[in-house]
Amino acid sequence: MGTLILRRLAAMIPVLVLVTFGVFSFIHLTPGDPIDAMMGESFDAAAKERIRVELGLDQPIHVQYLTWIGRVVRGDFGRSIRDNEPVIENVSRRIGVSLQLAAYAMAISLAVAFPVGILSATHRNSPIDGFGTMFALFGICMPNFLIALLLIYVFGVKLAWLPISGYSPPDDGLVAWVRSLTLPAITLGLALAAVVTRTLRSSLLETLSEDYVRTARAKGLAEYLVIRRHALKNGLIPVVTILGLQLGTLIGGAVITEFIFALPGVGRLVVSAIFSRDYPMVQGVILLIAIGFVLSNLLVDIVYGWLDPRIRYG
Amino acid sequence: MAERAVSFSDASGAPLAPTGAPRVRNQRWALVKRALTARGAPFGAAVLALVVLIALVAPFISPYDPLKQDLVNARLAPSAEHLLGTDDLGRDVLSRVIYGSRVSLIAGLASVAIGVVVGSLLGLVAGFSGGLADSLVMRLVDAVLAFPGLVLALALGAVMGAGLFGVVIALGVVYTPTFARLMRGQVLSIREREFVAAARVIGSPAWRIVAKHVLPNVATPIVIQASLSIAFAILAEASLSFLGLGVPPPTPSWGGMINQGRGYLQQAPWIVFGPGAALFVTVLGLNFVGDAIRDALDPRIRV
Repeated sequence: MGTLILRRLAAMIPVLVLVTFGVFSFIHLTPGDPIDAMMGESFDAAAKERIRVELGLDQPIHVQYLTWIGRVVRGDFGRSIRDNEPVIENVSRRIGVSLQLAAYAMAISLAVAFPVGILSATHRNSPIDGFGTMFALFGICMPNFLIALLLIYVFGVKLAWLPISGYSPPDDGLVAWVRSLTLPAITLGLALAAVVTRTLRSSLLETLSEDYVRTARAKGLAEYLVIRRHALKNGLIPVVTILGLQLGTLIGGAVITEFIFALPGVGRLVVSAIFSRDYPMVQGVILLIAIGFVLSNLLVDIVYGWLDPRIRYG
Repeated sequence: MAERAVSFSDASGAPLAPTGAPRVRNQRWALVKRALTARGAPFGAAVLALVVLIALVAPFISPYDPLKQDLVNARLAPSAEHLLGTDDLGRDVLSRVIYGSRVSLIAGLASVAIGVVVGSLLGLVAGFSGGLADSLVMRLVDAVLAFPGLVLALALGAVMGAGLFGVVIALGVVYTPTFARLMRGQVLSIREREFVAAARVIGSPAWRIVAKHVLPNVATPIVIQASLSIAFAILAEASLSFLGLGVPPPTPSWGGMINQGRGYLQQAPWIVFGPGAALFVTVLGLNFVGDAIRDALDPRIRV
């Protein structure tokens, strides 16, 4: 197990170096002068020059990279060009909201996917299965922003049960907090639920036809125990895989969800920084997202190796 | 941007079971027949054909100019004159939905085409030559995959400026790693097969081995992955345009129209309904077609 983690960590290093190249060149790939793009052409020439020097854009490119990466390694991901706030402070202020949203969405998706997936597999070709399959297809084909608008229309506008925009921190009351995150979490969780349902159904169908399941049934084990102890255990491995693979989708979905519901998370920060052409901010946030994403993938790999010894020793 | 390469190759790009011997010509009809009779496939094929047709003949069938504003008739409910109503600037929603199909199809097809071509080439080089080229290409692929797809597309789109071209390139970059990994895995497994060794023994040059022996055998998973990716590329373009970072207004795109209408959900829900329904039905149809192609080409991974 230790070697697996070490090997994965070592493999991350060249990837992260390439990632920093990519993120660094971001500001230089913009067409024309990046300062013009950020501030507008009519901006005062002296002020432009000052910003150019401040950002180090007057230096040769390799010097710029080394200066930048030196700061990044020491935890300085740059500052906003708009309000001079350090990227890392802005992100750490917002990351909580994004993680709460992701955890809530994950909980909703598993709470939906498990019953639907298991019932679909155990009652194959029944109306329940038909409903489960339809649900999965719907969730996969329906873009999350449409789900969001549908939810806003039904629960926010027509029924007026839940708030449709904004975030209420837990300090201002737990009920308000949960309510403010409910529609966004359903939006984000539904697509995930669909994918998990589909995976769980097909992997359970496979394990249910295994010999050891027949043996368990033959010795007279109650059906729910057959499912829980024998089928589900092996049937869960593809679900863990798919959850890991869906991580990127979840982050992308969070960007859109936070945008629609005006949640002050990291995803919304990406969009607003792009809109305001705050390139140092975009650079810093995207690098942080990439690092977080790579680390969470590593975590998934570790969990996976722990669940399935074949991978550890493979 | 959903399930990139979910069902067929795991995160490490492990190859599918290698496909069987090259198929005989008359088996192809059996394949087409099987694909067309799969569940949902007739519906999917019909939807796809209809959307392509609509995109091609858009100027002849759209009842109004999709860009013509008519503020007096803004936010009209659907009627005989405006079948899907009018938007907040008085433009005919139906005409805009019709023209929007062009953006969706171009974005979906072109970005996946870039992904297939560039990714396959990279994977081919990596898998076939091995060594330094292999590790270089694969580290590059890993680096691209270190970004969540939509976030990468957003950043690349921001770099290239708004517009269909930028969206297509950005999504093309996002889809490239999937195909590179898939191709490399396939090449690695096929490289070891006897018929490739035999070709090498009789002195076939590398390009000939690739063209005659490798490509026909790796085509199946690439086609399957490509057909399923198009649906997600269309969703991704719509997402970018919805965020206002894709195809800029006034060009009609389904995602952009939905974003524009979301402020009028209460007074004029039809502004969102038209493009929303078009997007959902198109993606649904493409998914059916993709599943049918997968089932027909590789019955072993049918679920």
